[in-house]
Amino acid sequence: MNRKNKRILQTILIVVVALGIIVGLYLYAGQRAFVSTIFSGLTLGSLFFLVAAGLTLIFGLMDVLNFAHGSMFMLGAYIGWQFYTNPTFIFGIAPLALAFGTGVMFISVLKPYLVAWNLSPRMQKLLPTIAYILAAVVIVFAVLGFDILALADTAMVAMTTTTVGNPLAEISPQEPLEEFWVRPVLIMLGGLLIAFGSSKPGDKTQYAPKENLGKAILVPAILLVLTVVSVFIRESAPVSVLLMNGNIRFLLSILVSVAFGFVFGAVIEIILIRPLYARPTFIILMTLGLSYVIRELVQFLWDPLTYQMARPPLFAMPGKAASIGEWLRNGNSTIDILGVTVPTYRLFIIALGIIMFALVTLLMTKTRLGMIIRAGVQDPEMVEAMGINVKSVFTLVFALGVALATLGGIGAAPFLPVQPLMGDAYQTQGLITVVIGGMGSYVGAFVGAMILGIARAFGDYFALKLSLSPAIAEASTVIIMVIVLLTKPQGLFGKKE
Amino acid sequence: MSDVRHDDLLLVDHIHTYIGQFHILEGVSVRVPKGSITVLLGRNGAGKTTTLKSIIGLTPPREGKIIFDGMEIQGKRPYNIANLGIGYVPEHRAIFRQLSVLENLKLAERKKGDFERSSDFIFKLFPDLKRLYKLPGNHLSGGQQQMLAVARALVPENKLLLIDEPSEGLAPILIQQMMEAIETLSRTTTVLLVEQNFIMASQLAKQFTIIDDGKSVSSGLMKDLVLQPEVIHRYLGASIKTRIELEMEHESKE
Repeated sequence: MNRKNKRILQTILIVVVALGIIVGLYLYAGQRAFVSTIFSGLTLGSLFFLVAAGLTLIFGLMDVLNFAHGSMFMLGAYIGWQFYTNPTFIFGIAPLALAFGTGVMFISVLKPYLVAWNLSPRMQKLLPTIAYILAAVVIVFAVLGFDILALADTAMVAMTTTTVGNPLAEISPQEPLEEFWVRPVLIMLGGLLIAFGSSKPGDKTQYAPKENLGKAILVPAILLVLTVVSVFIRESAPVSVLLMNGNIRFLLSILVSVAFGFVFGAVIEIILIRPLYARPTFIILMTLGLSYVIRELVQFLWDPLTYQMARPPLFAMPGKAASIGEWLRNGNSTIDILGVTVPTYRLFIIALGIIMFALVTLLMTKTRLGMIIRAGVQDPEMVEAMGINVKSVFTLVFALGVALATLGGIGAAPFLPVQPLMGDAYQTQGLITVVIGGMGSYVGAFVGAMILGIARAFGDYFALKLSLSPAIAEASTVIIMVIVLLTKPQGLFGKKE
Repeated sequence: MSDVRHDDLLLVDHIHTYIGQFHILEGVSVRVPKGSITVLLGRNGAGKTTTLKSIIGLTPPREGKIIFDGMEIQGKRPYNIANLGIGYVPEHRAIFRQLSVLENLKLAERKKGDFERSSDFIFKLFPDLKRLYKLPGNHLSGGQQQMLAVARALVPENKLLLIDEPSEGLAPILIQQMMEAIETLSRTTTVLLVEQNFIMASQLAKQFTIIDDGKSVSSGLMKDLVLQPEVIHRYLGASIKTRIELEMEHESKE
């Protein structure tokens, strides 16, 4: 009872102090500056949340601190920017990526048959190894001579979307189809070989029922169709996408970026993180190294330059809208809220953050996956002993976390300069958010992100007003972290160990 | 010991298990015939829990064989082993404390509808759980948590249940209820039980295996063991004594 009282007292104290600070800031800054600072704070907070949500889910379930999360945020911005500005690059590599995915996903069809084979234990070990080596050879041959740099450069060419006709001018870095088709076919073969190896032929104890084969064939079949389509539309699609309505194109680039993040996260988890779960320090070093690799890769493809992604038409027209209705009709770049001019794109980012928080909450409380995650945070071994493949749940959660980061990246792209280091600040703030909110708590990540965003915005405001060094704004978040750690070492919503 | 008899559901054959660098099991063999309760006896730290964990795959053995239902399962991933039809009830009531009772049970489903199929049986066995099914796990008492842990293993169709110390830390009246529950479920499922409480073990089990210091030292029928007080005293003496003393202390407190 005593402990409960103490907790209630503590909560009341925190609320009173927070209210005091808010009222004090309001009186000091005045309504206009207060409202406008709050809005920029919430914008930052939304972006912090998108980074921190993935970090905290991944940390909570698998004790992995992903130091490459900021780089994945940045990668999301680049992919989205590429798709929005000139999708030639995305459509150019899509057939290869889809072909590989198709091959690998056929595992669900192959596995029930392969595990029923009669093989000696020696062959059970040998066959997968042979398959993997063959796969590597085939894939190397498939990508030999593929000019990825020329494809990547396309975003810098012909950025005008207003011209009627072909906005890509005459530049076409695409190989002719009669030479190109070999590549996806070979890559799909490589994927099939990997599927063959990893389905453990001859291992009769594998759980692979044949009954749901109809369901199992669905995903690879869809991917196969997509691959074939992507091979044929690879040259014509970029133009049609560029001629689309800009808002729809922006929506599509968000989807592309999120899908990319999901697949990229899954691949990274399976190849790089899964072998290291027994050695947590190695994982930290590995993700740190990965962040440099991603950054260098981006600089290799797009040069170490700074790009500015154009805002979609809904947020582009100069001039201030008086109401939300007027903004949605005209696509103004700013809107009047309580007498304060607020950029409309900020409202979009805030909405994005809140919607994603709602979706994550739904996922965690209402779905079986959420149930497994909450159980796995406490005791992954027991979840596994109940017959749930925890490794694949880890992959899924990692993929979801990265998808949230790339969503943050594309969300931020029209708002921040797109450059190789844009994720670093968000990585740091994301980590601080996770510490403040409590490791593993998505509610904590949301509350922590909003507190940090607002603190940061007011830090900027004071730095400007009192002509202090801008470093004070960055320090403000660290100061909050220190205060939280001193009073609640497990974070605001963290569970006591 | 290495041959599989036709009525064996599980055969553990000279397994050696390491935890980190420690050699915990140094040759444990257990035979579990279909359709009855087999109990693992032994002092604290003898390796009974590690034997169960080796079977389910949480601490895979480095040497030896484990044959379940005609298949070698040593070295397989735990979820694979569980999906062959083995339910595991860990010691210390390891239920998911952040999940409600209902969620704990739902999580145990392997196929959709497992819970609907088994819920009547479970709630008949543990009527308390029906009343509590919305509560989060950390609001349950120790006995209720233990019942939930056992109930969870009954949700999917299992051929074998591994139950680790179901009576640990329970009040005598709850021990009685737990015993009856295990007796009932053993009519439909084979059970491998770890139990320190010799009185409970001797009433429930048909077969026994004694593990001492990481080795299986004796096995046979329970009805023969109760006639050999010198074996009981030699391998189990200390634990039985403390158990009875503990129970007496518990009763005197109440």
